[in-house]
Amino acid sequence: MPDFLETTIDKFTFKVSTDRYYNDEGVWAQVRANRVRIGLSDFLQQRSGDVAFAEVKPEGTQVAYGDEIAVIETIKVNISLSSPVKGIVVKVNAAMETAPESINQDPYGEGWLAEMEADDWDADLTRLLDPQAYFIIMKAEAEDDVKKG
Amino acid sequence: MTENNQDNLQKVVIVPCSGIGKTYGTVSREAAYDVTEDLRPDQTQLVALSLLVLGDESARASLVDSPAVTIDGCKLACATKMVQECGGNVVKDFAVLDVYRRYKQFKPQGIAELNAGGYKLAEALAEEVAAVVDGLVDEQDTLVRDLLIRSDSSSEGGSYG
Repeated sequence: MPDFLETTIDKFTFKVSTDRYYNDEGVWAQVRANRVRIGLSDFLQQRSGDVAFAEVKPEGTQVAYGDEIAVIETIKVNISLSSPVKGIVVKVNAAMETAPESINQDPYGEGWLAEMEADDWDADLTRLLDPQAYFIIMKAEAEDDVKKG
Repeated sequence: MTENNQDNLQKVVIVPCSGIGKTYGTVSREAAYDVTEDLRPDQTQLVALSLLVLGDESARASLVDSPAVTIDGCKLACATKMVQECGGNVVKDFAVLDVYRRYKQFKPQGIAELNAGGYKLAEALAEEVAAVVDGLVDEQDTLVRDLLIRSDSSSEGGSYG
């Protein structure tokens, strides 16, 4: 079980898992054996709303850091998600086809999007945020959202 | 079903989401109107969620002894929860999002006025609700028919042999 950094803003509680890295959009990357698993942060999924569909780039797709890796359609918006990793998509979570709501239900677990083979994980790491850094950014964005109503 | 039997049946209560200003809430209400006004007007009765929330006696009374079908606009499932809280019998709860996942081609947009996709989705949802209503009516019809047959048999006072 991962540990979390946690904050409650207004009536919403947001968790940041401490066992992975994040891009500034809130897409996380976690090394698992020789692959990097990616998904949405708790804040990103809550802010986006209930997911209706998730379309992840198919297995075999080569993406650069920042390229679109997936598009999710929620009851509020369509969001293009940027890859936090440069590499090749080697596995897409089958649940994205059958149960995309798992993104909302378990963003750090069952709701992962894809696994990638990174071309150069060390290079990716220099551009990613550690959990504490992402937590600060996320908290500021959440507070800003509340102010805007 | 005979007209006599129809008189003995309880109408199925349809309770949609009351979410104002939400596309999925509007879809739920459009679907409820389709069912109660066009598809199955004689077998269903529309009850506004807001009346249940306000404690309207007539609205609450309509839930007594009648099966209810709820249509929720989001995962808060207010319609389902409220009907249950009022003691109603929710036999089927629909969620607009789940139905949309089955009809991806009908992307709903708009609030006060839905787009074409929204109306199409509402129609598709209404057909699913109507199918549930048909099943409930058939069940009730069978029960009533059985009761009538038993009643007829006992009043004949049949003799043995």
